[in-house]
Amino acid sequence: MSKEVRIRYAHYLTIVLELAISAVTGFMAGAIILWSLGYNPWYIYGIMISMGISNPDYLLSKATPLLLTGLAFSVPMLAGVFNIGGEGQLYIGAITSLVIAYYTGNAVLALLGGFLAGAALGGAIGALKAFRDVNEVVSAIMLNWILYFSILYLIVDKLYNPLMPQQSVPVPPSAQIGIIPFPGGGIHGIFFIAVVAALVTHYLIYYTDLGYVLRVSGLSPKSASYAGFNPKKSIVYSMIIGGGLAGLGGALLIQGYVHSIDTTMSTLYGLGFLGIGVGLLGWNNPLGIILSSVFFAMLIIGGEMVELTAGAPPELADTIIGIIVIALALPYAYKILINYVRRWRERI
Amino acid sequence: MQPAIMMKNIKKVYPDGVIALRGVSLEVMPGEIHGLLGENGAGKTTLMRILYGEIKPSSGEIWVFGRKVSFRGPWDAIKAGIGMVYQKFALVQSFTVMDNIMLSVSSINRKATYSDVANSAKRLMKKTGLEVPLDAVVEDLPVGIQQRVEILKTLLRNAKVLILDEPTSVLTPVEAEELFKTLKSLREMGIVVIFITHKLKEVMEVTDRITVLRKGRVVGTVKTSETTPAELAKMMVGREVFLKIERPPAIAGNTVLKVKDVWVKDDRGLDAVRGVTLEVREGEILGIAGVQGNGQTELAEAVAGLRPVAKGKIYVGDIDVTDKPTSFRYRIGLAYVPDSRSVGLVMDMNITENVILTNLLSVLSRYRKIRWGYAREVAHRVVKGFDVITPSLSAPIKYLSGGNQQKVMVGREIVREPKAFVVAEPTHGLDVGATEFIRKTLASLKTKGKAIMLISTDLDEILQLSDRIAVMYEGKVMAVGPASEFTLERLGLLMGGVSGE
Repeated sequence: MSKEVRIRYAHYLTIVLELAISAVTGFMAGAIILWSLGYNPWYIYGIMISMGISNPDYLLSKATPLLLTGLAFSVPMLAGVFNIGGEGQLYIGAITSLVIAYYTGNAVLALLGGFLAGAALGGAIGALKAFRDVNEVVSAIMLNWILYFSILYLIVDKLYNPLMPQQSVPVPPSAQIGIIPFPGGGIHGIFFIAVVAALVTHYLIYYTDLGYVLRVSGLSPKSASYAGFNPKKSIVYSMIIGGGLAGLGGALLIQGYVHSIDTTMSTLYGLGFLGIGVGLLGWNNPLGIILSSVFFAMLIIGGEMVELTAGAPPELADTIIGIIVIALALPYAYKILINYVRRWRERI
Repeated sequence: MQPAIMMKNIKKVYPDGVIALRGVSLEVMPGEIHGLLGENGAGKTTLMRILYGEIKPSSGEIWVFGRKVSFRGPWDAIKAGIGMVYQKFALVQSFTVMDNIMLSVSSINRKATYSDVANSAKRLMKKTGLEVPLDAVVEDLPVGIQQRVEILKTLLRNAKVLILDEPTSVLTPVEAEELFKTLKSLREMGIVVIFITHKLKEVMEVTDRITVLRKGRVVGTVKTSETTPAELAKMMVGREVFLKIERPPAIAGNTVLKVKDVWVKDDRGLDAVRGVTLEVREGEILGIAGVQGNGQTELAEAVAGLRPVAKGKIYVGDIDVTDKPTSFRYRIGLAYVPDSRSVGLVMDMNITENVILTNLLSVLSRYRKIRWGYAREVAHRVVKGFDVITPSLSAPIKYLSGGNQQKVMVGREIVREPKAFVVAEPTHGLDVGATEFIRKTLASLKTKGKAIMLISTDLDEILQLSDRIAVMYEGKVMAVGPASEFTLERLGLLMGGVSGE
């Protein structure tokens, strides 16, 4: 075995070990809490995992928006930008796709519209940071809420379904995305598109000059300037890509799964924020995020089932999910935060 | 008379084995302004930080006003009447002057009230002439006034000994004159001032006695009235005979790099480079000597396009690149090796990724895909050609030694085959072997017809390698000419701001 290969193996082994130790720690900590509250940890975990994966179609549909908001967090993070606006970018993608789908009935146009709307919003946040020194966390959170209430207004006042006034107009069947048939089964179309998006993102980040420039800018803005790259452009580009991916997530969710938005926004709310956890759990690597989004979806579905079957309060499942995710993401999140703080101090 | 400060045989060895002080003794008498003079790394600041209780000496004794002391931290030093003002001020920028003073006073006297402190501040301002607006917010004040706030703060904590670390490095000449006046009036009040500097003119102007340090040792203490700048310069730079490496004769050709009446501002907006005109020709090394912080870094960054030029022109070959971006300058044949490895390298990336940092265009396919196979080939060439010791091309560069990192930084520029090099502090912090390798590489580049601008604070390096030398002081070129015209003593004088005849 060559030295080169040995080092690479050692690297992967470290990752696997870190993950294994984190997983054991997380599940143990969760078990202690369950046990101290009078539940049988094995029983609860059993339900969570077995029920979580019992319906693969549901699992992958649930994972789709998480996969994309996870990417929406991670791509800017690689360029040193903290995109907490995946939430708003998902909203704008969802509503744009819904409107286009409703009026044109064209699935591709609706997806494209969702992507572009998210990209425009992300790009705006990036431009504010790059050229006006507005902290991206502040502007993104404000925009999240502006969009939340604007969309709520649209659904309640303009786009409501006359037959079912508690929800918006539906996506017409022609613009819906269904199952892609494969020999020996089939795969839900939206998950397939999400995986393709992740693969394209991976290629972009690790095999093109744009991705290389983004990564250099994220790791060391001073080195980026020294090499003749423009770190401000990197900020904007990373946010355009990230925002676009979150927007695409919103469009896929609308066209492939819920087909309309309800007036409580419960179909959309929180998916962008969960993306932060998904991205960190996937170590900001697009391939890792494919796995982490499915894992996350499994825990969420399993958590719902725990509520139903064991009669545990919903907060319990959320607590357990939180502990497991934090434990798994902690080693990597720690590195990322240190780097972000260092970068902030350098203030390009 | 009993000395105000007596430091006896102070030694300091850092945990990583670096010896900063090799037995330094210093006596400062009451009522004097004492200059502490030396080159970068001579140990001036380390010695003063020991006196201020900030770092502990490895051995040695300290006596303050006849009492033997052993400080556990700056708070002990402050109680003993010692105050220090750093180059970087310890002020809360968004607070008012008064808030800052209050903050500092309340740390030693919790019962102090706002009005008491304001009154004593006003009294002290009248007595010393250190006028500052108490209600102004610190960040709105010019640097010179902020420095006064720092001094005032220190005096209000009853400092009897005031240490100033390179106080004029942040000041304009007019502000510096003001500071000197203040220091003289403080002397009248009986306050002892220790003035750290490398500027000969200033020590001659303001001090009563001067102690010169060199490489962690005291060269001597002299009365200012009985010495000359020339003598001081000799004390500062004079050293054992250094090894002369073979210097191939220069066969200088066309001018490749030209800097014409260039003015550049530093991060604070002050003029760091003030009207520099220089030329570097094919097949020669132009050495730029000078003490750190006299505009060399800003000049190098301006040439590379990393810092805007306020006035003047920069040419690479015949092309005016003054307003062109960095990437354009690299494309037409300029290479820049920065003085900081954390700028030139991305520490969390591996060797291949670092090698393509400035070679990105050459490893891209037509569709802007990075050809990683070819990139590894280039990286392999750098590693083989420059003897970089590494387990693998995939090893993060932060795990390499400083010398090997430097080789990667220089090597990846050489494989690009540029026409002109700007190289800043190429051997800073390297061991003897790596230093020799880098210097030989630079000399061989010269024989291959490259134009090299070598910026270094290391005089040995300048004298070993340069065909021509320019000395920078306070943003200006003090002198420029063939290396043979410069003796160590003359260099020392010029670096200290004295244009010796």
